[in-house]
Amino acid sequence: MTEKKGHFDEDLDLRISPKLSADLNTLFKPQFSVPSELDRAIMDQANRRLVQRHWRHRVFRHISIWRIAAAAAVIIFAFSLNLTQKPGPTTTSSFIVEAQAVDIDRNGRVDILDAFKLARYVESADLTDKNLSPVSSTGQALRKQGWDINGDGLVNRNDVDSVALAAVRLDKNKGVL
Amino acid sequence: MMKKITVISLVSVSLVSVSLMLALLYARVGQAATRIGPKVRFAPLHIYLDSGNQPLAAYQFELKAAAGKPAPAKAGVKIVGVEGGQHKAFKEAPYYDPAALANDRIIIAAFNTGSELPKGRTRIATIHLQIIGDAEPDYELKLVVAADADAKEIPAKITFEKGE
Repeated sequence: MTEKKGHFDEDLDLRISPKLSADLNTLFKPQFSVPSELDRAIMDQANRRLVQRHWRHRVFRHISIWRIAAAAAVIIFAFSLNLTQKPGPTTTSSFIVEAQAVDIDRNGRVDILDAFKLARYVESADLTDKNLSPVSSTGQALRKQGWDINGDGLVNRNDVDSVALAAVRLDKNKGVL
Repeated sequence: MMKKITVISLVSVSLVSVSLMLALLYARVGQAATRIGPKVRFAPLHIYLDSGNQPLAAYQFELKAAAGKPAPAKAGVKIVGVEGGQHKAFKEAPYYDPAALANDRIIIAAFNTGSELPKGRTRIATIHLQIIGDAEPDYELKLVVAADADAKEIPAKITFEKGE
């Protein structure tokens, strides 16, 4: 226990005697002399290297600062654009045109009755003239009304479906609730 | 001296490790507790329309479902499916926006140009819901329009019944 304590004793005398110091110097003294020219040459080379390294470090640091500054600028610019903000609901002219197109009964509201009325027109049309082709008189009349909703040149069940789907679409129907 | 530093370092490292392990363990326990979370169940909601003596040829309604109160943080209602009605005139799946699925609001509509149409009270659609949480959801149901075979608007009463 006391021995262990001895290892942690901070008051140990670490000084060495002058005699021991002289002996050690004699023992480890170089056996040959280094010429002063060689010594100077080594020192010069070491200095050159140190100066080179210093400049390289400074240049690198400069480049790093510019890189960081550029990256920061890009991030600030991206945030200023506010990319996360989604565009709000737009009442564009195309939407108005589409809403007008599917408002078959022209009552200012797009609902299932528009599809129902169009379906009745389509079904009551000339049955021999399938799909109410553009060349038929009925087809031309219906197309004149603007009921070729999908613009395929025919007024048929596909147009009815387009109107019905427009009536139940969530984004355009703000809802009655 | 060195031994003292080594011992102190070892103790510090041990303490930090234990703290980290405890923090991780706590996080895991928290996650597990969250995973258990609120109860999830599926239930149908039957929609009825009573058109009285008039034949029903077309309808459109809107449904909004909300988590009942008191609603825990993760409670909610999602529409997961839509089915047609009872009468053969409305047996086919009605029109609805597919975007309404996994949502809490839906607009449903259908029509039939045939002559065999239902009268009186009839089930026009069934909406399948995913209900998160124990509380019974609140439903808002609004009839947009109901019409007869001539596409004329008729008065009608819309109701719903919760299924099992």
